[in-house]
Amino acid sequence: MKLQSRRKNEVKTKKENINLRELYKLKLENAEIMPDSSVKSRLMHRVVIKEFMRFNPASFNIYYLGGILIAGITSAVILFSGSEASYKLKPLNITDKITSSDTVRYLQIELKKPDRKDSNISNLSYNKSRKSKEISGFSHVAVAEAAKTSRSTISRNPFPTGISNSIIKEELFPDTSAGKNKLKGRFKPDRMFIEPFASEGCAPMKIKFYNKSDSYDSCRWTFGDGGYSNEKDPEWIFDVEGEYKVVLELFKNDGKQLSNSAVVKVHPRPQAHFEILPEKAILPKDEIRFFNYSANAVQFRWDFGDGSTSELFEPRHRYIKFSNYNVHLVVFSDWGCSDSLTVINAFSGSEYSIEFPNAFVPNTQGPTGGYYSSKSDEAAQVFHPVFSGVTDYQLKIFSKLGILIFESNDINLGWDGYNKGQLCESGVYIWKVRGKFRNGEPFIRMGDVTLLGNRH
Amino acid sequence: MMSDRQIIELCAKHDRKAQKVLYEKYSHLLLGVCLRYASDKAEAEDILQDSFLKIFFNIKDFSGTGSFIGWLRKVAVNTAITHYHKNLKYRYHIEIEEYISIETGVSSFEEDFFTSDELYKVLNELPAGYRMVFNLYAVEGYKHKEIAEILGIDTNTSKSQYSRAKTVLREKLEKLGKLKSSYSENG
Repeated sequence: MKLQSRRKNEVKTKKENINLRELYKLKLENAEIMPDSSVKSRLMHRVVIKEFMRFNPASFNIYYLGGILIAGITSAVILFSGSEASYKLKPLNITDKITSSDTVRYLQIELKKPDRKDSNISNLSYNKSRKSKEISGFSHVAVAEAAKTSRSTISRNPFPTGISNSIIKEELFPDTSAGKNKLKGRFKPDRMFIEPFASEGCAPMKIKFYNKSDSYDSCRWTFGDGGYSNEKDPEWIFDVEGEYKVVLELFKNDGKQLSNSAVVKVHPRPQAHFEILPEKAILPKDEIRFFNYSANAVQFRWDFGDGSTSELFEPRHRYIKFSNYNVHLVVFSDWGCSDSLTVINAFSGSEYSIEFPNAFVPNTQGPTGGYYSSKSDEAAQVFHPVFSGVTDYQLKIFSKLGILIFESNDINLGWDGYNKGQLCESGVYIWKVRGKFRNGEPFIRMGDVTLLGNRH
Repeated sequence: MMSDRQIIELCAKHDRKAQKVLYEKYSHLLLGVCLRYASDKAEAEDILQDSFLKIFFNIKDFSGTGSFIGWLRKVAVNTAITHYHKNLKYRYHIEIEEYISIETGVSSFEEDFFTSDELYKVLNELPAGYRMVFNLYAVEGYKHKEIAEILGIDTNTSKSQYSRAKTVLREKLEKLGKLKSSYSENG
């Protein structure tokens, strides 16, 4: 039955058949699909939420009151913890300077320490090792919190330094007996200036970090991906996508320590990959299809090598003539990372070739006719090419005087060394061949061949 | 069994039960619409949910004149368009080549040769832009000029995308057709 209908299609019995547009309109305009049962419950849930959100004074009830209370408490908590964070980050001026170029990105972190607070803090900077651990852990929390809250809140720093110092004293008040242990206190910046993303780029991303701080004895960069460096201005390559918190810590020989951090965001790089079909295309006869296997990409730019381009996902292209085209694809991810792939000489396969020998030894017993096979012509009695993928072929042999003495349009027919039944003289002859390979590529070759006399 | 009129009146008052009835009654049909605009069923169900939210909260806007189903359908289509715009990865689309429409043989199809499932599947595989234009033009019956306005593209782009969509669909269907015939031949 179905087979029959196909046949009908081929005969184009138009009355019974319909075009694509009608087909879709007819079949799908009123098509019904059963939704998953979970869709309904999720929908009703959303309806409830949406109705709740559309505040209606007429239906003001205990839920709204509860909501307002919760919101009020939450914001109070946030405000309180936010201000805590701001006075735990103390006297440092930090500026991030980011410059970027196409290939390498630079991230500069500058730590400058105002002198006025120096003495104040050095007083506080000794502690027990156990306690120091606690403190540094605590201080990390503060940094993380600072990063979460908005920059303006932090930089405003509504608390006078006097207060914050007294708090530090309470927290870090040195245990005098512990002073002998070489232990670190920790400076806390009063102004954290952290960009949401100090630097963003595509993996693998190479970043040069500049430490612009002065007056410190050693430094340590940790890159957030397990790597670290003690260089002043290290260079680092992030080869896996993700968000990395890069921390610069400065150490002074007296045990003081400062740190600042910045976030580096590394986006995945897309991968350009495609295939050309048909595999052994014949130009210009075949329409060429490009199959796109690119990953992580949303935008595509094809260059077919003959001057035409496309931005389709899987374009098709028809070449006007044969040539050695380079097909080039650039793909972009949604963030703008790109990757490209070029197939050089996309249509001239190495499987096409034609080669001629430079000598042969005709059979002196009489003309062989010129037909040969690789087996039958082990003695090289016929002048013929070794070839593959040749479709069109024309061979001409000329004497030294330029007289045409042999011509063949059949690649299986070579020259047996005879002309009009007579064996030609030993010596050099000129050959010229023209034709086409299967992929449409034309070829013209010329050369000379030496006809060798038989030893007998 | 409530009539459409009753359902509409109750839904306007945010009656939960009426909303459920409305959903039960029309979700199948509207999912059929949404699936034409989506790349898979999950996406279609997302569009369906958004459509029903709009329907529930804007049911007062239904004038009462004209067909209710037509109005529902329109909401679903508009939601699908909004969804498409929201998910558009890059807004600028540069048309480089002038597309010359080549009809590769006027093939026609027998109405019942392909199942709806197959037609959906082939449609779902189209790039989103093609799918939008094809649906709006071929099924919803918009003019290219209107589609251009709706999607924020050039009229010629709409035409060329429709043409390309048709070519791809036809090709895929023909391939599928051959496959089906060979099965029935062997079977």
